[in-house]
Amino acid sequence: MYNFLSLLIGALVAIMVAFNGELSNKLGNYPALVIIHLVGFIIILGIMLYKKIKISLKNGLPLYLYSAGAISVFTVMFNNLSYAALGVSLPVALGLLGQLITSLAFDHYGFLNMKKIKFNNKKFIGLSIIIIGISIMTFL
Amino acid sequence: MFFILISIVSGAIVVISRILNTRLSEKVGLLESSFFNYLTGLLSALILFSIVKDKVTFNEFYTIPFWAYLGGALGIIIVILSSVVTPKMSSFYITLIIFIGQLFTGIIIDCITLKTIPFPKIIGGLLVIAGLGYNLHVDSETEALIQTN
Repeated sequence: MYNFLSLLIGALVAIMVAFNGELSNKLGNYPALVIIHLVGFIIILGIMLYKKIKISLKNGLPLYLYSAGAISVFTVMFNNLSYAALGVSLPVALGLLGQLITSLAFDHYGFLNMKKIKFNNKKFIGLSIIIIGISIMTFL
Repeated sequence: MFFILISIVSGAIVVISRILNTRLSEKVGLLESSFFNYLTGLLSALILFSIVKDKVTFNEFYTIPFWAYLGGALGIIIVILSSVVTPKMSSFYITLIIFIGQLFTGIIIDCITLKTIPFPKIIGGLLVIAGLGYNLHVDSETEALIQTN
């Protein structure tokens, strides 16, 4: 059941990339960005009104915690740009590589007050296999 | 090359925004943090849009198929489903299975839009999954070690 849900999440992510990419192709990159976030915002607003959740700004929370949405705009934008050039599967694989390298760096150096986890050299094996796989996807 | 680079960078941003978002949702709740996510996202998109002053002709809005507008809605379904799955499964399987779903749906979409079966992408994709699986396995081994110590 949860395995299936996880698979579904992955499938939905790929479909979302294709939807957003098509919108961006037709409408232009920046107007599409606005529409994508507007649609999401309206829906979340609807859910919150329905569930009668009140938004209160908590004092004492560092402002940078609220910046996740502001930086993920660039994820959407970059995905939309590469969709036109590379399709869906290749940006997905490349994005995974970026995620792995970044989370390794965060773990190793403990950025953003993360718990430090030292880099395990065995992971070079997995990273190499991934890079070989991506190269096959890209250049063959 | 440019597109390869921005695809990798977009993965890097995913990690950073996921960390920030998890922190925020621990403090204010999941729906609330998604609310702020889309609010700041929308504001940033509007700022970018007003800076570049892209021309939009409103006729285009009607010619675009309806489903193309649903990306933002899918984003919210993904957030909610993830919050259902995360406490129930090990992050090993979640990460691996989500990625398998993502990659192979991506390959299927590419098949449909390009109208060919891209064998290199399937073989390369399988290798990427093997590599990811191996590294996640190393991770869960170290975690088990930390817990037993």
